[in-house]
Amino acid sequence: MWGIFLESVVVFKNYMGFHENGYLAGIYLFVLLYLWLTEKDKRRRAIFVYAPTLLLALFFCPLFRKVFVRILEDSETYYRLLWLLQMSLVSAYGLIRLCGRHRRIGLAVICIAVAACGNYVYDSEHITKAQNAWHLPQEAVDIVDLIEPEEGRITVLVPADLIYYIRQYSTQIELPYGREMLIARWDYHHAMYEAMEKAEVIETASFVGLTREYPCAYVVLKEDRELTEPLTDYGFTLYDQVGEYLIYQDSETSQEV
Amino acid sequence: MLHITGLLGLLFWLAVIPFCIGLIPANFISAKRRGPGFVLLAGYFVMWALFEVVTIPAVLFVKYDNFKTASVCFMISSMVCAAAGVWLAYRNHRAHRPDLITGKDVEIRQKSDRNVSFVKRVREHIAAQGKRMSWAERIEWLLFFGLLGFQLYKAAAYASFDGDDAYYVVESLIAQQADVMYRILPYTGRPTDLDIRHALAVFPMWVAFIAVKSGIHATIVSHTILPFVLIPLSYLVYYEIGRQLFRFNPHSGHKEKTAREQTKKERAGRRQMEDNTFLHRENLPVFMILMAMFQIFGNVSIYTNETFFLTRTWQGKAVAGSLVIPALFWMFLWIFDRRKGMPQERTADRKAGGNARKAAGRKPDVTEKNEAVRKQRKRYDDAGLWLVFVCINMTAGVCSSIAVFLACILMALTALALTVTERDYRVLLKMGAVCIPNVIYMAIYVVTAYSYLLK
Repeated sequence: MWGIFLESVVVFKNYMGFHENGYLAGIYLFVLLYLWLTEKDKRRRAIFVYAPTLLLALFFCPLFRKVFVRILEDSETYYRLLWLLQMSLVSAYGLIRLCGRHRRIGLAVICIAVAACGNYVYDSEHITKAQNAWHLPQEAVDIVDLIEPEEGRITVLVPADLIYYIRQYSTQIELPYGREMLIARWDYHHAMYEAMEKAEVIETASFVGLTREYPCAYVVLKEDRELTEPLTDYGFTLYDQVGEYLIYQDSETSQEV
Repeated sequence: MLHITGLLGLLFWLAVIPFCIGLIPANFISAKRRGPGFVLLAGYFVMWALFEVVTIPAVLFVKYDNFKTASVCFMISSMVCAAAGVWLAYRNHRAHRPDLITGKDVEIRQKSDRNVSFVKRVREHIAAQGKRMSWAERIEWLLFFGLLGFQLYKAAAYASFDGDDAYYVVESLIAQQADVMYRILPYTGRPTDLDIRHALAVFPMWVAFIAVKSGIHATIVSHTILPFVLIPLSYLVYYEIGRQLFRFNPHSGHKEKTAREQTKKERAGRRQMEDNTFLHRENLPVFMILMAMFQIFGNVSIYTNETFFLTRTWQGKAVAGSLVIPALFWMFLWIFDRRKGMPQERTADRKAGGNARKAAGRKPDVTEKNEAVRKQRKRYDDAGLWLVFVCINMTAGVCSSIAVFLACILMALTALALTVTERDYRVLLKMGAVCIPNVIYMAIYVVTAYSYLLK
């Protein structure tokens, strides 16, 4: 039970961002304490003070965590319980209450405190300038535009960094493996993935054998990807190039399609 | 790309239909509480609940072209509901009852509306609102709209990478391009069995429905268009919450009742409200600015609902965290946070009246009967709110199967806290009744997930 409790503590710390010097949670906990001491309206007290406190107690309760994980068969989403605290809502209410008559100066001070204790969301490394209306990398869009069949579906082998995007643009393109292979903790095994991504140098003969099992009509490789022998020696033709990606067409498979 | 029919399709399904549906619950709440914001929000929640009811059976029991089946059923049912909403509004208008959208009395409406176009009326309304505000408030509102505009600009001009899009967005696209729901593995495109955890959360299918009706690629709808709907919608929920939290207007009320006409209790309550400056209406824009600031700087980890709100806006779980859960708070406050009109207070009033009559040993006279009718009507003032409450809980299921569980926990804890503070066990019963759709949802989940044990 102690171990489960400690797991909850770790989840809490990660959620609140204590390890990255995010102290918005400090503001929330301060406001919660302030409301405990000063909120007189019993209904608001129930909604903004008692319910969140009960929730925090429940969150750290090992038995509850056990039941939650057992029912949902998922321990990774336990942090979502903390969404119920609605920290921003309670904090905003409590801070306005705290400021009382000093509305304007209070607003300025709180905004500075929030900016200082929080983390600017648009600084995230995952946010980049959009290249098109789909919000997908332009290279992925261009590649699909080149190889997408007018009717039916084809299987295409693409490097890991395109896997997320190809099928967001067209579902006529099938993949031998998908995103599930890229998440290490899911621990999947796939021979094609091993041959394509794990090998330092692609063993062309066995690689071609695997691609034809699906069969892959096209293989997209990065320009600098090393192979023991060129794909063109095995019945592939260089179809086109988009940015750093080379698109090979398998003439054998294309004839079958 | 965007074309005129696409834009019209979006406008119809993202604004007109939800707004018209919202007129149904608006008909069953008191006129004082009505407003365009309530109508739109209520309409969205009722529409999503309807979508859940129509789509889940199609997912579970229809194997081929299940998306087409669900789309047709949803289209018909939502249009019927929208027509019912318009009919209720028309009936209200004919019967000279308060307006369903604004809650205005018919006399006031007739005075101001005669020979004046709708646009001019809206302009007049905004101008009247503006006149009531101080300069400081106007600047604060401008600041808030600046922050909102900044978030919308970022949502449109910047792409946010999230691995889960390879599942959710592709599910929407498969439904749009192949008319199939949850029968094809989004990652690869191969056929698959139902993954019940994802299959019951049909939010991606609603996205697909919007994509089909507007003729716009589902990925564009998700990444570029939906933030323009979901971000303002979330702030609308915060606005409604703020309207309740900071509802006291120190400059109003004098005209309606003179100090002499007010009861002692009313005078005391008003004095208390005047003393508690934080309850004043002028704090509403401050609240909205703070909410926007918390969203922008709430990225203390990748797990917070604020991070989800601005980086994965179009995903069901983000909608659950930033729209559905705050909407539950909205309902808690709108239903329970009242100085007058709490259900148990009204019951106490009724009981007190009945006891007095019994003691006097006489039948109720006409005035008392009118009073009883008025109270009876007042009881139904909350019906629309309870309907929206149920629909919000159902929307949790549309967004994510975990959200259903979370909504139940929040409802249970708040109900417990309110029951203890109010000393009224009926709060627990009522909130429990609201959770019935969630219980059914969880039962379907459990039965489907573990059905292999029964074989």
